[in-house]
Amino acid sequence: MPSPEPRALIVAVDIGGTFTDITLQDAVTGEAWTAKTPSTPRDPSEAFLTGVGLALVQAGRDATAVGRVLHGTTVATNLILEGKTAPAALLTTAGFRHVLEIGRADLPRRDNLWAWRKPRRPVAPAMVLEVAGRIAADGSELAPLDEEAVAEAVRAAVAGGAQAIAICFLHSFANPAQERRALEIAQATAPGLALTASSEVLPVVREYERSMATVLNAAVMPAVATYVGRLEQRLEAGGIAAPLLLMKSNGGVAGATAIRRAPLQTALSGPAAGVVGAAAMARAAGVPDIITVDIGGTSADICLIREGKVGLTQSGRVGPWPLPLPMVDMVTIGAGGGSIARVTGGALAVGPESAGADPGPACYGRGGTSPTVTDAHLVLGHLPPALLGGRMALDPARAEAAIRAAVAEPLGLSLEAAARGILAIADNTMVGAIRIVSVERGHDPRGFALVPFGGAGPLHGVALATLLGMTRVLVPPSPGVLCAQGLLAADLKSEFSRSVAQPLAGAAPAALEAAFAGLEAEAADWFALEAVPPADRATRRVALMRYEEQGFELPLPWPEAAKPRAALAADFAAAHRALYGFDLPGVAIEIVTLRVEASGRLPAPAMPAPRGGTAADALLGRQRLLRPEGAVEAVILDRSRLGAGAEFAGPAILTQLDATTLVPPGWRGRVLPAGALLLEAE
Amino acid sequence: MNRRHEAICDPVSLEIIRGAARAAQSEMEALLERTAMSAFIREKKDFYTAIFDASGAMAVGSDLPIFGDIVGPVLQHYPLETMQPGDLYWYNDCYGSRGAVSHSNDQVFLAPVFLDTIRVGFVMGWAHFSDIGGLRPGSLSPDATDHFQEGIIIPPVRLVRGGETNDDLLRAFWRNSRFPLQSQGDTRALMAAVRLGEARVAELAARFGADVLADAFAQLLARTESLVRAKLAAAFPVGTTRFADAIDGDGQGNGPFVLRLALTRTADDRFILDATETDDQAPGPVNLLMHPDVPGMALGLYFLQGEVGQVLNAGGPRAIDEVRLREGSLLWPRSPAPLGLRGLTMMRLLAALHGLVAVARGGEAPAAHSAYVLLALRGEHAGKRFLMSDGVAVGYGARPFADGVDAVYFVAQENYPVEFMELTYPVRLRHYGLHRDSGGAGRFRGGCGVVREYEVLCDLAQVAIRIDSVKNPPWGVAGGRNGGSGRILLNPGTPEERLLPPLSDGTVLRRGDVLRLETGGGGGWGHPFDRPAELVLEDVRGGAVSPEAAARDYGVAIAAGALDTAGTVALRAQRGAVKLFHRKDYVDAVA
Repeated sequence: MPSPEPRALIVAVDIGGTFTDITLQDAVTGEAWTAKTPSTPRDPSEAFLTGVGLALVQAGRDATAVGRVLHGTTVATNLILEGKTAPAALLTTAGFRHVLEIGRADLPRRDNLWAWRKPRRPVAPAMVLEVAGRIAADGSELAPLDEEAVAEAVRAAVAGGAQAIAICFLHSFANPAQERRALEIAQATAPGLALTASSEVLPVVREYERSMATVLNAAVMPAVATYVGRLEQRLEAGGIAAPLLLMKSNGGVAGATAIRRAPLQTALSGPAAGVVGAAAMARAAGVPDIITVDIGGTSADICLIREGKVGLTQSGRVGPWPLPLPMVDMVTIGAGGGSIARVTGGALAVGPESAGADPGPACYGRGGTSPTVTDAHLVLGHLPPALLGGRMALDPARAEAAIRAAVAEPLGLSLEAAARGILAIADNTMVGAIRIVSVERGHDPRGFALVPFGGAGPLHGVALATLLGMTRVLVPPSPGVLCAQGLLAADLKSEFSRSVAQPLAGAAPAALEAAFAGLEAEAADWFALEAVPPADRATRRVALMRYEEQGFELPLPWPEAAKPRAALAADFAAAHRALYGFDLPGVAIEIVTLRVEASGRLPAPAMPAPRGGTAADALLGRQRLLRPEGAVEAVILDRSRLGAGAEFAGPAILTQLDATTLVPPGWRGRVLPAGALLLEAE
Repeated sequence: MNRRHEAICDPVSLEIIRGAARAAQSEMEALLERTAMSAFIREKKDFYTAIFDASGAMAVGSDLPIFGDIVGPVLQHYPLETMQPGDLYWYNDCYGSRGAVSHSNDQVFLAPVFLDTIRVGFVMGWAHFSDIGGLRPGSLSPDATDHFQEGIIIPPVRLVRGGETNDDLLRAFWRNSRFPLQSQGDTRALMAAVRLGEARVAELAARFGADVLADAFAQLLARTESLVRAKLAAAFPVGTTRFADAIDGDGQGNGPFVLRLALTRTADDRFILDATETDDQAPGPVNLLMHPDVPGMALGLYFLQGEVGQVLNAGGPRAIDEVRLREGSLLWPRSPAPLGLRGLTMMRLLAALHGLVAVARGGEAPAAHSAYVLLALRGEHAGKRFLMSDGVAVGYGARPFADGVDAVYFVAQENYPVEFMELTYPVRLRHYGLHRDSGGAGRFRGGCGVVREYEVLCDLAQVAIRIDSVKNPPWGVAGGRNGGSGRILLNPGTPEERLLPPLSDGTVLRRGDVLRLETGGGGGWGHPFDRPAELVLEDVRGGAVSPEAAARDYGVAIAAGALDTAGTVALRAQRGAVKLFHRKDYVDAVA
């Protein structure tokens, strides 16, 4: 037997509220080990290292064999959502201290004018400090920076208790010189304080959105820096010399140094890891076009992946705040397994309130009395009598009582109809979100396979596919822990952009080429920082274009070889037509922004074929399934005992440690060589 | 398949249909925002959508209190039975639609939705077009004396018949705009949005069946009507409740104009809103051709707050049994009285409806807000004509449960970012911030307006300005004080400083001129001495309240940025008596 390759081990660490999960994988053989240890909320790094140690023991390997450590952190996200970011100050252009307070002066379209309250900003207006100095829209300097005022403002901020300072001046995206100088002065005046300038975080037009991103980045910096620092110390103490890489909202990973500077890039990374994992799994299964549905306890995240590529958007939000940083283009909705069903004003609603993990659905018997989506599944026979490999028994009587009292009786429905109604409403919300990522963007969902994951995903997969006319559902090998798979599969990623704003027809090829080359030089610096070997570097040129006078751009790949402008214009018109249903012949097209997307390939782990037998070998029992057309008997199969090539027909319920898959009548299942389960409509 | 019997939409399907209708609206709105060309639509987002039942009753609207009967005007020219799949109707005719649209810049595009050959509903897209011809760029001007000066009028027309577009009509329309490219882009965006909505509603009908969908719409309408009716009955005693308020003037030297509302609840629980005692129509363009459905929509929105799962629709107007208007009055002017700036009358009307609630419930209602402000700068720069229509936020009224909102324009409408302004127009912004002390003092503070200071960077330009509630600032209620007024100054702090008329057009500006615009705030709610001193201190530190106003209005003494507790106790010992409303002084009625 050949000796294991040095540094072939990849470690992925997922820290949950209750448990910390470690996945260890040998990138060469694909062999994997998992470990679970109680989380240590006071210092999460403690469980981090304990878990890695446990996994290494299981694998019988040494700490020196670890080649990289991957981690997704929700520290920044949680601080923002809970309003617990560090006390911060904002230095801004004189005359504009209320930019954050005013925002876009709007009231959300779906909120009631008379009931709405403006959310409290992460920086109080008293901590917004004005500094003289002014840059014009074209980047020229109208008034010099008042350097003494910068120092004074920094001192005032520190005296006021600020632990972080954000700097955002008007038009700094066009000329960052004053911001950079202010940053230097701040560093000299208050060494050690968390500092961020907007031109580093988000160099784009619109001062409110940019100020908010800068403030949030600064205000999560202290906590993220402490957190990352502790992880690194623990790794060092444990003898692991491998680099620590953290998940970003764009679906890539970045080194700890980069994340310390730009922690906000992790703010929407939670769901990104699962999407990357799903994309890798689908690629291995030979299915390039998928729509992923990640259903957890309180929410669902939906994403469309075409030709294996995960799309990016810059129209994201975190809590009430806009966050125009590149993030995986997905839609999040407040519907999950723990979503509570209730009747108000004669209307049945499901979510966004959730029973969470504690007390959880009524059927968990932990004190929850509100009916949830999970309770509806149990009543209809979609769940086995116990979860977690038999360790957690479910109580159908409690589920029935909760649904009867809160839904069936108020609406005059039978228990079964009420349960089916709860699921129908939850499914409908998810179908709406799937339409947004598919139909609304010019894609016919019927050409895609649905990939449900998360603990509750595979229960809904076939129902959602049916509502959308989709005929294929691909269930990952471990749907409940796909985030870890995503971490293992992620590449290093970063984007570099520049505003150019010129007509497509008239733009000088040499100037565009020079701009792209400049961005590629920035990408090369970044590759060097992340120590990516030349062979693993890849860049992609993208141009963001629009019709003149429009306000929203479409990203189009920019050809490496020269292509006639007329052909590029035709590509743009075709994309516009596909997305919006019309184009505007004769109207000029503008290039607004050039972008270089850089990725550093990390060796993808192999995916070993599942060992196991036929469906008959996996039979655990049978149970009654309540279908709209009447009750049927379903087989219960143990997924871990299904080998590659195993086939079965619905109705069937597949149980495994981390999820339950529902296969209704009319659907067939087959285990693929890469371990995924393919369900197809007959 | 046309089933004979009535199908009933079960509660689950109803919720699904409501959710799907909302999702369809979001899709339409996203498409508009991404593809429209004028800044008024794509940055300011002055657009709305709605879905109607097969007879044309609005079943799922936007949360906006200004809609009248949208489909009716089309039916007068094109009877239901003549409509075909693929049709698209269009109008902006205010008098021709009895106020369904109330100024001509608002274009209504409407498509019937069919399932096979059965008509199952209508879909509307509505957007404010930035220029449709008329007296001045932007089509709206305080100088207008005749509705025909306010841009081209499109009566209800069939723009698309069975999928075939009448391009002649569009070319004639675009030719009437000073910015034809924007007009063209906006038209195509709005048409595409309506087509998208049409497809979504057709899919809903196919999924549930035409009759289930019809029943769902009927239930949504009935649900809203019964809820609004119940809340009206809870708020208003049997008898007549009265409230009156005034707009300052019409910009042409006339005014004030008083709006007089009387809401009667009869012994058998009928509700009658009578506005016939309102003053005569104005010569200037502040007339509001108020569709009789508008008061019901407005009160509907007010009473639906906090009601999760309910939608604003034609059930609101149905909750009011009769609306009485007088022809020739400010709220039902005779053609061709100009209408362009009806927004300021509309905003005052909304507050006046809350005034009725305040009278009926002893002050348990929101205080008044200022009318949104518009500044239009026009001229030529770099060889091109430009139009900068800057919608500027105001403060909203404090509520019995919360402060009023600072710096809001109106539902879902956004400001132009400073950086966008400077990139797009020949102006430089010198200041943009909250207008200190403009929020009315109260236990809950009224929202602050804003200050926006522009420097003109082109040789020559002309400015139109629209500010109301200057002489009659927004009232406070239940002990709260009135909000601050707006104003506009030319070249402040220089020897040439001068106050411009708040509702005026034609002021000529030259390179280097500075305009300082200050907008009004909202009224306060509850006695200001009951506001916790810490909150007053926070407002002082944040720049919303001055230390002088803290002492004078709130009885809170602040010295060197800190609370002076003993001083505050002394000040608050001098607590004065209050009346129901406050405008300049505590009063029982404001007009």
